[in-house]
Amino acid sequence: MTFQPNNSAPPVTPASKELYSPSRPKERGWGNQHTPIVQAKSVTGSSLVVVISIMCFLASLTAGGVYLINQSAAAWTDNIASEVTVQISINRTENIEDKLSKISFFLTNQPGITGVRPLPLDESADLLEPWLGDGANLKDLPIPRLIAVELDRESKPNLDKLRSDIKKNFKNATLDDHRRWQSQIQTVTRSMALAGLAVLILVGLATTAVIVSATRSAMSSNREIVEVLHFVGATDRFIAREFERHFLSLGIRSGLVGATGSLIVFIFMPFFMRVLGGSNMTSAEVRRLLGTAALDLPGFILLGIVVVVIAALCMLTTRYGVYRILNSQHH
Amino acid sequence: MIRLENVALRYGRGPEILRDVNFHLRPGSLHFLTGPSGSGKTSLLRLLFMSIQPTRGLIHLFGQNVTRITPSRRADLRRRIGIVFQDFRLLDHLSTWENVALPLRVTGKKPNDYQEDVTDLLQWVGLGERMYALSPVLSGGEKQRAAIARAVIGKPELLLADEPTGNVDPQMARRLLRLFIELNRLGTSVIIATHDHQLMQQFQAPRLELHDGRIHQVG
Repeated sequence: MTFQPNNSAPPVTPASKELYSPSRPKERGWGNQHTPIVQAKSVTGSSLVVVISIMCFLASLTAGGVYLINQSAAAWTDNIASEVTVQISINRTENIEDKLSKISFFLTNQPGITGVRPLPLDESADLLEPWLGDGANLKDLPIPRLIAVELDRESKPNLDKLRSDIKKNFKNATLDDHRRWQSQIQTVTRSMALAGLAVLILVGLATTAVIVSATRSAMSSNREIVEVLHFVGATDRFIAREFERHFLSLGIRSGLVGATGSLIVFIFMPFFMRVLGGSNMTSAEVRRLLGTAALDLPGFILLGIVVVVIAALCMLTTRYGVYRILNSQHH
Repeated sequence: MIRLENVALRYGRGPEILRDVNFHLRPGSLHFLTGPSGSGKTSLLRLLFMSIQPTRGLIHLFGQNVTRITPSRRADLRRRIGIVFQDFRLLDHLSTWENVALPLRVTGKKPNDYQEDVTDLLQWVGLGERMYALSPVLSGGEKQRAAIARAVIGKPELLLADEPTGNVDPQMARRLLRLFIELNRLGTSVIIATHDHQLMQQFQAPRLELHDGRIHQVG
């Protein structure tokens, strides 16, 4: 029997087409494209994509939420720091409006003050309405009167001296520079940032654990391929790269899905709250807490960073995992 | 080129497959490795290919002791060795062309750099029309030729072949042997493990005979 290679080749029919490599070159040029040595479907299944997408969604949501709260807190403290309030307790024997005018006049003539605005009684009553309700006739109550004092941001006055001058010159009048508030806001935002960081660390650890397990299973299902690669002289670095490129792609795809999901949540959060039964007050409160609850450019960049970190985590965990497994096989 | 000193091999707690194996092969030599089934031919080739470690003794390849070697150094040395496995070890999802090109691909070269070489070699081994076929649709003989092409594409300094003509017809067997001899003339050392006495008679070459785990050089 003589060897006839052409006759022994089965014809290419549509049915057998899938048995032919998709990388068949056009004309004579191969280009520089390779069929992947390790197939994507043997490494990253759809369930893994779902899990990593959820991880990235949680990470983006946390990072974006902490960013918004920090932004709002910074805006609050900035506003509070540039404004102080003089509070005058009611004394039935005094003409309160007259006293308000005198204190306002005094304040206007102090250095470092750019604006003085005595709050009308209605406005002072409105401030108490969330706590006392609108049913009570607030104007009949001895509500302390307030003067909003705007400070010069460039050259602020000596608040301690101003406080003692007011105390000395006007009975029942005190200056509140909102230090307690500022300190509370800072404590709250710092706690939220720490909680967010803890969530991010947990998400990172969970992602790492999932990727380690997936790498182990991918190496196991591609054991023969790894053996052949070793036989033809592939280095561990080359083999690791064959795996990590799939996990990098998985990280980017899942990261984008997760980040987009969180973005949708940020955009529609006030709407969701109304749908879920919250009143308009709820969305107003969210606005008060998170500002407009809309991300600005640095916020978008932060979500982009989350995607990059998740993708890098997937890739580097795989590289380390492959090295570890290959190392254990060498010894 | 190859030097084995008192090499022994056993798998786990089993009996010694090889014992007191001593031989020295010069660069550019061609040897047949013979012996009955189970005599340890494949194990000896695996030792030479550094896929297993000897239980005792020393193996020197290209002037280096390979019994203690780092993974990256082993990869470097393997690029200087071509191996043909009895069970071919082709990757099913790659075309014949890509399987043959694999040793060049792992060195980081681009397909354009070796396109002509791979295509010419596949034509030479009679797989010109099967270049784009995936491994599962190749016949046993075609797989064997693809495996041989993969082993020689990198112009190795040492070629190890385990029953390389077991699945091809006599004419193709002679043709492949001529390829090995041609490579040998170009300076490649060749060790061919085979049962094919007819072939050994046709191509006179020294033999390494394995009996009872020991090796005897003949010719």
